[in-house]
Amino acid sequence: MKKRLFAFALLAAMLVGLLSGCGAKKAETPAAEDGVVVINYPTFQCGVNTAAPVVDQLISEFNETYAGKYQIVKEDVPGDANYVDKIKVQLGTGDLPPVIYGAGYNLLDLVIAKDLAVDLTPYVEADPEWKALYSDASLATNSRDGKIYASSVEGSQVGYFYNKELFAQAGIEAPATTWDELFQQCETLKAAGITPMALDTADSAWITQLWWGAMVATASEDGLAFMQTMNPRDYNTPELISTAEKIQKMLQEYTTLDAIGGKYENAANNFLSGQAAMIANGPWMIGDFSDTTKTTADFAEKVGVAIYPDGFVYDAPIQGYIVTKQDDPKLEEAAIEMVKFFTSAHAQQLGLEMQGMVPASPSVEITDYAKEQYPLLAEFLDKASEATVSTDNMQATMFSNLLDVISQELPRLYSGELDAAGFCQAMTDAAAKN
Amino acid sequence: MHTSFRNLTGKERAAFIGKYLFMGLCSLVALFPIVWVIMSSFKTNAEILSNGISLPSSLSPDGYIAALTISPILKYFGNSVIITVITTILNVLFLAMAAYVFARCRFRGRNLLYFILSLSLVVPTTALLQPVYSVVNTLGLYDTKMGLVLVYTAINMPMSLLILRGTFQSIPRALEEAAYLDGAGFLRTFFQIMMPCAKGGLTSAAVLTFLNSWNEFTFALMLTNGQEARTLPLSLSYFTAQFSFNYTAMFAAVTIAVIPSIIVFAIFQEQVVSSLTAGSVKG
Repeated sequence: MKKRLFAFALLAAMLVGLLSGCGAKKAETPAAEDGVVVINYPTFQCGVNTAAPVVDQLISEFNETYAGKYQIVKEDVPGDANYVDKIKVQLGTGDLPPVIYGAGYNLLDLVIAKDLAVDLTPYVEADPEWKALYSDASLATNSRDGKIYASSVEGSQVGYFYNKELFAQAGIEAPATTWDELFQQCETLKAAGITPMALDTADSAWITQLWWGAMVATASEDGLAFMQTMNPRDYNTPELISTAEKIQKMLQEYTTLDAIGGKYENAANNFLSGQAAMIANGPWMIGDFSDTTKTTADFAEKVGVAIYPDGFVYDAPIQGYIVTKQDDPKLEEAAIEMVKFFTSAHAQQLGLEMQGMVPASPSVEITDYAKEQYPLLAEFLDKASEATVSTDNMQATMFSNLLDVISQELPRLYSGELDAAGFCQAMTDAAAKN
Repeated sequence: MHTSFRNLTGKERAAFIGKYLFMGLCSLVALFPIVWVIMSSFKTNAEILSNGISLPSSLSPDGYIAALTISPILKYFGNSVIITVITTILNVLFLAMAAYVFARCRFRGRNLLYFILSLSLVVPTTALLQPVYSVVNTLGLYDTKMGLVLVYTAINMPMSLLILRGTFQSIPRALEEAAYLDGAGFLRTFFQIMMPCAKGGLTSAAVLTFLNSWNEFTFALMLTNGQEARTLPLSLSYFTAQFSFNYTAMFAAVTIAVIPSIIVFAIFQEQVVSSLTAGSVKG
């Protein structure tokens, strides 16, 4: 009996030891003990994210520059959607990290709604170098009610890529300059046995909505005004319905079968494997054209880049870094320094040269090194500079609940269960829930 | 007694072939996903996306190298083992005690208390996120293994309670009465008489708790921020982003994650199966 009791006591002691070990607080970092302000920075720019090396480099440079004063500790939150979900939970509890990256998920409005965003206006006004990096477009993206709440590092200039070899096979000499010509080219490609477009419907249908938005923006002045509206509510307009009809045609006639329910990866693979002749996407895709695990070694030579018909290009800074209100004023100051550093001309140039990221500010020079590294990007930027119409993309301005709705409704638009008017009504109904 | 296939009648032969065809089909259905994942870990991204069921063009270890480089998968694997094992032990130990009391003792509010504890079975995880996040933060257990252990133990409570109460109810009272007559106390009766009799239910509860905790993603993401407490499912998110993907590395990571579990199950399958069947006939 004594033996058993002893064994039981040992087991209990082991369990308690194990649990206390699991719950033990991590040792304070030496930096924190020395009075260094530590900025815990959660980011989805890790793993295979194309911006991950740039962020790592910036963190390393920041920690070196501010050694003994500030230190950034990176927290990986792999997966864009996971990051957004986590920030939303933290928003609910009011326990936000000092710096948030708004990216294409319009987190700024959510943070402002909870009155947790720091007004950066006085800091930007006090620093002429920082202020000079804000273009009008950047101010529009990162300001609300005349106050600056965020700072951009990257621009979102998006056109489309086409396969020059497939175009040549179909006898097409150059990208279309009008929408009628584009649809004519689709017919020509189809007649030559080539699938004209790589499209998707899942995960907010990024590629498909790029084509839709480009058609809306160039349909009329009202269409352009719609695209320039933040969180539009009414999708029941003539230009949206008529362009949704064209999207229906694209899905039904000009794309691969796996586009319906397919994700970005499927569309990208269809283009990279030469199964589709065109894909709408941004310069971040350029690296994939020479990635031999995704395509053939000579594929990069076959790719051309264009702006959309009627002289349109997506051109808007991506919503940038937001500083959130903290109990500790020193932490808030450190966060502001971090945002300033991460969006400086140097940081924007680093992103350009390391990963081909388009700088948010037009005043940042496109260096010769970058042009040599990314000739397709240089070609695109030249063409983009000739665009006559530009705006932000639909995904960046629509209510966040519509990102799911568009993925749900596009397959129904494809199948004919919904007509264009019904599709736009579904979008309007979903927007009304906000 | 073995009967040669030649000695069977036509009807018996058809039944024999049908039986083996059915078993073969079941094996194929069970094995296909695992074989597909392992096969995909040797294919390029283009091969995976273009033709999912084709054979890999080479047996390059690049996917495995990338998987280990891109994400801290081995660290997360170790964390998963620690968290899941402790969760399972705590869950089964404490809920066996609770279930025994619910099954045997009569006290005021017993049914109401049992109903309240079982009610959490129907509360969706998303509704629990914010309150659990706040509580764990307040307790100072954010980003600790202990925080996850407590949450997982609690999440698995209703299911284990349901299984174990049913198991204890199905054990004849005569066994306890005999133990008491022989001079055993309450604790001794519970640990030495009732627990061995409830082995089947305990195994079922343990297996379910283990699997739920091993695969859990949302709380692991929300309640941790460093590498010290994160679990395996999180590591798989490192391989896909909105505009970039590395499926080869992802499938290599999945292979690394599942192979040890398969090996462990293969070694202990006899014990697991026998304890499950033992439980099914008791009572």
